[in-house]
Amino acid sequence: MTPVEWGIVALALLGAFFGGVAAMGIFRLPDVYTRAHAASKSDTLGAVLTVGAAALALQSGISTAKAVFLLVFMFLTNPTAAHAIARAAQDQGIEPWTLDDEEGET
Amino acid sequence: MSVDDQPGLYVESTIIMTTVRVVAPFVLTFALFIMFHGADSPGGGFQGGVIAGSVVMMLAFAYGIESTRQWLDVRVVVALAAGGVLTFASIGLGTIVLGGQFLQYTEYEVFLSHASKYGIELVELGIGGIVASVAIGLFFLLAAGFGHVVDEEGEA
Repeated sequence: MTPVEWGIVALALLGAFFGGVAAMGIFRLPDVYTRAHAASKSDTLGAVLTVGAAALALQSGISTAKAVFLLVFMFLTNPTAAHAIARAAQDQGIEPWTLDDEEGET
Repeated sequence: MSVDDQPGLYVESTIIMTTVRVVAPFVLTFALFIMFHGADSPGGGFQGGVIAGSVVMMLAFAYGIESTRQWLDVRVVVALAAGGVLTFASIGLGTIVLGGQFLQYTEYEVFLSHASKYGIELVELGIGGIVASVAIGLFFLLAAGFGHVVDEEGEA
């Protein structure tokens, strides 16, 4: 395997790992804010790393350029969407989860 | 209008507005790209139309739904849908007038070369207009909520 191929595999594995972390966070964390936190950060990183692996693997001008565009816009829009969701939740008066309501809703 | 009397009036967020301002032109370009590539690669009028409609939804999320509704006249949305239907129908029926089947683009070869290519692209554009405007109209109707009195919105 060439160094580039190792890099592709490493990026894809890292991306899958962070995607798994994001999924775990969405399942296990208690309320909308913490879930948005898990989804926005690790999900963005996972998706960007995976797309980066694809961009490396394609290695042909236009497809790589498209993948890089996708990567850039994911980095831009994913956190903004999470921000919008958190803002809307705050707007609706959803209280952030604290240690006090440990036994409260899931 | 109807949402104004609800508690918690919409306050704009600098982050969302900036991102939308940066991203919206790219999204619209991407929508047209998808529409024009429907003939020979994945994509087409339906997908591109949804993406074009999502530009207006993005604007509504950033600048408030009511101000977007006032900015984008309902008549524009309806005209877009009707124009799409007219484009599709006139291209499709035009081939019959020229003596072919419905949407048999090769009948247009008399007027210009690569007729089927241009025919497909125009039909995709028409479909894109229909899908985009119906998506926008449905979004505005849903956003208006249940208490909204349907006055002139006959679209979608």
